[in-house]
Amino acid sequence: MSINAAIQNEIFLTYLAIVGGLLLFAGLVLAILGALGRDVLSISRTYRGWLIMVPIVFGTIFLGRTATIIGVTALAIFGFKEFARATGLYVDWWFTGTVYVAIAALGLVSFVSDPRLPRTGWYGLFMALPVYVIAAILVIPILRNRAKGQLRQAALAILGFVYFGWMFSHLGFLANTPNAYGYLLFLIFAVEINDIAAFTFGKLFGGRKLRENISPNKTVAGSLGAIGVSFTVPWLLSFSFDHFEPLHLILTGLIVGVGGQLGDLVISYIKRDIGIKDMGVVISGHGGILDRVDSMIFVAPIFFHMVRWFHGLG
Amino acid sequence: MNEWEYHPPPDIDATMAETLRSFPRQPDMLVYTIRSISALLLRGWLRFYHRLQIEGREHLPENRSFVLVCNHTSHLDTLCLLSSVPIKKIHRTFPAAAADYFFSSLPRSAVSAILINALPFDRKLKGAESLTVCSELLNNKGNVLIIFPEGTRTTTGEMGRFRSGIGRLVVGTDLAVIPCHLEGGLTAWPKGKAFPRPRRLHLRIGTPRNYAHLAKTSESVVEICRDLQESVAELGKLDL
Repeated sequence: MSINAAIQNEIFLTYLAIVGGLLLFAGLVLAILGALGRDVLSISRTYRGWLIMVPIVFGTIFLGRTATIIGVTALAIFGFKEFARATGLYVDWWFTGTVYVAIAALGLVSFVSDPRLPRTGWYGLFMALPVYVIAAILVIPILRNRAKGQLRQAALAILGFVYFGWMFSHLGFLANTPNAYGYLLFLIFAVEINDIAAFTFGKLFGGRKLRENISPNKTVAGSLGAIGVSFTVPWLLSFSFDHFEPLHLILTGLIVGVGGQLGDLVISYIKRDIGIKDMGVVISGHGGILDRVDSMIFVAPIFFHMVRWFHGLG
Repeated sequence: MNEWEYHPPPDIDATMAETLRSFPRQPDMLVYTIRSISALLLRGWLRFYHRLQIEGREHLPENRSFVLVCNHTSHLDTLCLLSSVPIKKIHRTFPAAAADYFFSSLPRSAVSAILINALPFDRKLKGAESLTVCSELLNNKGNVLIIFPEGTRTTTGEMGRFRSGIGRLVVGTDLAVIPCHLEGGLTAWPKGKAFPRPRRLHLRIGTPRNYAHLAKTSESVVEICRDLQESVAELGKLDL
């Protein structure tokens, strides 16, 4: 990945055209609806949020591998920060600081090469890092000679690191693969389409609630609709991965369709247990970072290992 | 088994701009890291680009709150005073800054809140409220407040009249008020210029003053302002 590669990469340019076209189309529809006197206030706010986020995402990927890994690592750090703030772990600087450093280390390990292998991205250490980080987190109470409340803090720190740091950072590691543009852009696009489909089908067809104790707005119909859409998206966008066989396309649809919604529900029950509505406010109309990337945290690592199993990373 | 308790901060729904403008700020590890690094860089820059000399550091109290009062010729004043306190106190040193200027936009608020650690001071409508915030801050041990009693930067070099705020803040309290004088700010970075020029700066820190013996009357307030203004001017004369 590099600026030169991006300009010449057909996959990158195709996604740029697709997303640009969709944004333009959505903007026109909103303008017409607004002119007809429909209430589009809240959806306009969400739309403006997209107008900010889409250029940032494309810009980062356009700049290349380094920028992508830095971007994902920064998102992971600030995502973890939201989780730490929401749970109250944040006031404990030892645990929070250790996890910050650990997530930064994940970014570094994704960036450098394995000393024994000629390609970028130190896969072995990336996978082994949680061992050391969990050990370090568990040692903190011993260093401080303190027991009270430490199980809770250590558990929150480990969950925060493994889920928001390590699992999410797999997305950045994908930048090391030869088909980085295809994988990254497909994942981001498909996960967002899955989110939007779940929301839209849920609005259109009411009916039975999916998990009423976790997220009262989600319906079974919305969920099934989103899974249906997500199964077709990999076929429509199969130019993103020419080397995928039908089985891989089916698995991709399954991972995005089911995994995306599970990731959403995970953040939902975390928020509900804590008793907050959003993880924070970053972009108006979209909530915090974790409210935005919740599905990706679940999808990215599972997709990553599916790709690695069938095609390798080199 | 006891249930776990979570303690989300009360401002969890606040936008970034609101968080930056609010005061007192919650301690934030990332902010502290950035501020510490920038303070180190700032000290180096003042030392080598402006040849900043600081005289009278021994007058700064070690374990109690105090107020630094200084003449105001440029933005460099704040930066020099920030560099005069020990680096470990940097997160507890708050320059009072005009809210209508330093917190007017998101980028400005970010610089003011994160790098400068500024206290948003309303110099128009809610002056009294801002003063209450200041005195609460100083009631906690070990905080430092930086105030420019002239209220604005001078354009002529002539020191302006000291406003009554500082007097009202410290009258009848046991706070140490330390007059300071910065020489060279006006030539190094005049109001309206985008970048400072490499001119020498000289900061003098005077002996602490205390107004615990004064009654809380408007006469004492005037008296304090006059006394401080004289002390600052006095320090300035040493440079001539």
